[in-house]
Amino acid sequence: MIEAQSLTKRYGQRTAVDAATFTVRPGKVTGLLGPNGAGKSTTMRMIVGLDRPTSGSVRVNGHFYAEHSAPLHEVGALLDAKAIHSGRSAYNHLLALGATHGIGAARVREVIDLTGLQAVAGKRVGGFSLGMGQRLGIAAALLGDPQTLILDEPINGLDPEGVLWVRGLLKHLASEGRTVLLSSHLMSEMAMTADHIIVFGRGRVIADAPVADIVGQGAVTSVRVSSPQAAELARLLAAPDVQVTSASGSTLDVAGVSAATIGGIAASNGLVLHELTTVTGSLEEAYLRLTADEVEYHTQSVTPEVVR
Amino acid sequence: MSTLAQPEVARATHLDVTGRGLSPAGILRSEWIKLRSLRSTWWSFSIIVLIQVGIAVIFALTTSPMTTEPTTQQVTQAAVSISTLGVLFSQLVIAVLGVLVISGEYSTGQIRSSFMAVPNRLPVLAAKALVFAVATFVVALVAIVVSYLVTMPILAGNGVDAAPLEPGLWLSFLGAAGYLVFIGLISLGIGAALRSTAGGIAASLGLLLVVPTIFQLIPAEWAGVVASWLPGTAGQSLYYTGSTFEPWQALLVMLGWVAVTLVPAAVLMKRRDA
Repeated sequence: MIEAQSLTKRYGQRTAVDAATFTVRPGKVTGLLGPNGAGKSTTMRMIVGLDRPTSGSVRVNGHFYAEHSAPLHEVGALLDAKAIHSGRSAYNHLLALGATHGIGAARVREVIDLTGLQAVAGKRVGGFSLGMGQRLGIAAALLGDPQTLILDEPINGLDPEGVLWVRGLLKHLASEGRTVLLSSHLMSEMAMTADHIIVFGRGRVIADAPVADIVGQGAVTSVRVSSPQAAELARLLAAPDVQVTSASGSTLDVAGVSAATIGGIAASNGLVLHELTTVTGSLEEAYLRLTADEVEYHTQSVTPEVVR
Repeated sequence: MSTLAQPEVARATHLDVTGRGLSPAGILRSEWIKLRSLRSTWWSFSIIVLIQVGIAVIFALTTSPMTTEPTTQQVTQAAVSISTLGVLFSQLVIAVLGVLVISGEYSTGQIRSSFMAVPNRLPVLAAKALVFAVATFVVALVAIVVSYLVTMPILAGNGVDAAPLEPGLWLSFLGAAGYLVFIGLISLGIGAALRSTAGGIAASLGLLLVVPTIFQLIPAEWAGVVASWLPGTAGQSLYYTGSTFEPWQALLVMLGWVAVTLVPAAVLMKRRDA
């Protein structure tokens, strides 16, 4: 469980994170989504005590990060894959990291096996590819078998097989009841991995909801109707909150009415339909809509936390 | 949703972590693993041994034989100065290594991993300083004693036959090794405060090589006094008799230098974003 309260970070004039309040809950994968410079990484750095908040606070499992007597058992973090001395071997890096908590060589070998680094464990990290660096970073994050995992762009530089592996791993870790927070600018990836999404824009939390809600709320769901009597249908559908746009002569894109209603109207008026499809907006569209104009979105109250 | 069934705070981990966590012994072990797992450490320490022994042998071979029967004190002094002559050079290696030990963590980003494991940060600096000090002390002492043992037979041929049990001899050896430790710690403090390899090396070598020269060039009396208090000058009183300070005074001066570099470094480390 991660709880941020009015978390704010300013670098001189620039506000990187602006009064962010959110809660990351255990048992699901939470995605931190936002364009570059939105404050995702800074937020993550404040969670693990690397950056000091200008104001506000963030707690992990009820305590400030530095208050934990065994931080690596509480939180495992991958903040950037190159937070490792390039002159040291992967094995020795993990061994030194674990030694602080009394974690021995047996566990180090476990995470090396888990992340598939056996072949390169004895090599110096300086020669690692980005993907291998990511795997080592994930190994380091898992070293203490932590309750909470924080991963900044974990699939950056991974090959397709690695991406699948990370996706499965994160879901598995969440299914065990752990708190998993990851950031990504890849919306499609978020849609496949995350259960819940917190969208950042210019340092502010502009949305905080389950993936399905983000998609439903931000993107327009429309119905595609194809009919030889398209003009007739358009006239019948006309209403104040219904938008009808014509894609071609016989095809209409209708927003504001469900497919069932359209079908009903068509049937009761004896109109022939060739196609009747609900088009759901993608997470990507939702995200672009949300971040396109932050000003619009933080005046309008975005459903904060959907209570289930 | 099914996620509701998940317990809120139950520990979902497999590793038995009861009673485990951060400990001073663990942090020391971690720093020892870090120090021994880098090539720069082994290179620097090897160079120190080679320089010490090499210089001692060259000087022992080129000293002229004593014409009169030397006093015990003269013999001890000759043995000390030849065995510790290399310190003037190996201090530069130790200064560079002292900076690298911490600046290498900043330049590679390793420091973030270190601080995430030990979020209070200061134990990292303390353990690093302690491990580096002990390693340096051992290597320096070995280098000096080997220099002594190798040059003893050569000097004996020149009529300088230092008794190996002379206490003054061993105190000087300990003092010289201690001097290198202090130089290393001062450099570690500089490196930690500046967080940059290039800047740290420039500053610590500047303190050892450039600053004394500047003060010696100033013709005022106070400049000479200042010069005598600099670590590279005052520290030599730890192992050379007849210098400005008594060994115990030199020890205090060096401890003062370590404090004025490491304490601000610690304050900055605690305060700054990593």
